[in-house]
Amino acid sequence: MDESKEPVATEGREKMTVLVAVDESEGSLYALSWALDNLFAAAVGGAPNKPQPLGRLVLVHAQQPLQHFIMHPVGPAVYATSSVIDSVKKAQEQNSRDVIERAKGICRRRLRPASMVFCTQQVEAEAVIVTGDPKETICQAAEQMQTDLLVVGSRGLSKIRR
Amino acid sequence: MAAEAEDAASVVGKSVMVVGIDDSEHSFYALQWTLRHLFYPAAGSSSPFKLVVVSAKPTPTSVIGLAGPGAADVLPFVESDLRKISLRVIEKAKEICTSHSVADVEFEVVEGDARNVLCEAVEKHHAEILVVGSHGYGAIKRTVLGSVSDYCAHHAHCTVMIVKKPKPKH
Repeated sequence: MDESKEPVATEGREKMTVLVAVDESEGSLYALSWALDNLFAAAVGGAPNKPQPLGRLVLVHAQQPLQHFIMHPVGPAVYATSSVIDSVKKAQEQNSRDVIERAKGICRRRLRPASMVFCTQQVEAEAVIVTGDPKETICQAAEQMQTDLLVVGSRGLSKIRR
Repeated sequence: MAAEAEDAASVVGKSVMVVGIDDSEHSFYALQWTLRHLFYPAAGSSSPFKLVVVSAKPTPTSVIGLAGPGAADVLPFVESDLRKISLRVIEKAKEICTSHSVADVEFEVVEGDARNVLCEAVEKHHAEILVVGSHGYGAIKRTVLGSVSDYCAHHAHCTVMIVKKPKPKH
C-alpha cells in the first residue's frame, strides 16, 4: 500500500469534511455532540497559537416529501387543497429550520473557545435540507459533498427490530 | 471538558479507541485512515485517544469446518498458519502506527470469531469508539457491508466507525 509511505503532515492531521445527519431525535443530536467533542475538540491539543482549520462540518436534515393525497385507512381519499398543502409545507419548513437551529446551537456551544486556551479552531457549520427518503438523500448528499465522514445517530433498537 | 482537554497528556481521562484488523487491505486502510484523520503527529501534542489494535484470530476448527477424516492431521498446520498470519497482521499494524508517529498503542491478538472478539474488546477496554473496515478477508464481493462490520454496527456498545476503502474510479 502506497498510503503508508505518505509523509505525515507536520501542522496537524488531515482536514476532513464531516456530514452529520440530524433530525428531531435525541439520538441524532447526541451523535452531533459526540462528533464535536471527539472529532473536532481535539484542536486544543495542538499548538495553541497556530490556527488549525479543522475541516468542514455540514449538518444535513432530510425532510419527507409532501403528498398531495391524504389517505385515510378507511374511507375515501381526500385531495388536499392547495392552501392545506401550503400550510403543511410551511409547517414542515419551519420544523426543518428548528431542527437545524437546534443543531447549530449545539455546534456553537461546543466549539466556543475555552477561556483559558487561545483556540483559533474554526469549524463553520453549514446546513443543508434535503427532501426525500432520508436513507437515499443523505447518501446522495454525502456523495455530492465529497464527505470524508458521515455521522448518524443510532436509535438503539433491540436486536430484533432494526 | 476544557480542563480535561488540557490534561490530555495524562493517560487518565483518555478515550479508548479499538481498531479491529484482519489480514485484509480494507482493515489496514481503516487503520491508516483513522490515524491520518483522528490523530496528531506525536511531536509535542498528544492524541485524544488511546489506541487498542485488536486482531481476531479465527479458531483452527472454524477454518477447517466440520471435522472429517484427516482433520486432526491438518489441525497443527492450520494452527501454525493462523498464528503466522496474525503475527504478520500485527507487525504491519505496528509499522502503520510508527509511520504515523503514534506511540500510545496496544496490540492484541484474540482467538475467536471477529464479531465477538471486537464487541468483547470494546467491553474490556471500555472503549468509546470501535473502528472497523467495511469488508473482511472473506467477504463476498456482492455484499454492501461485511458481516463483521454490520454485526458490530448493531451490537457494539459504543460508537462504531466503518471505514470504507474507496473503489478505484473508472
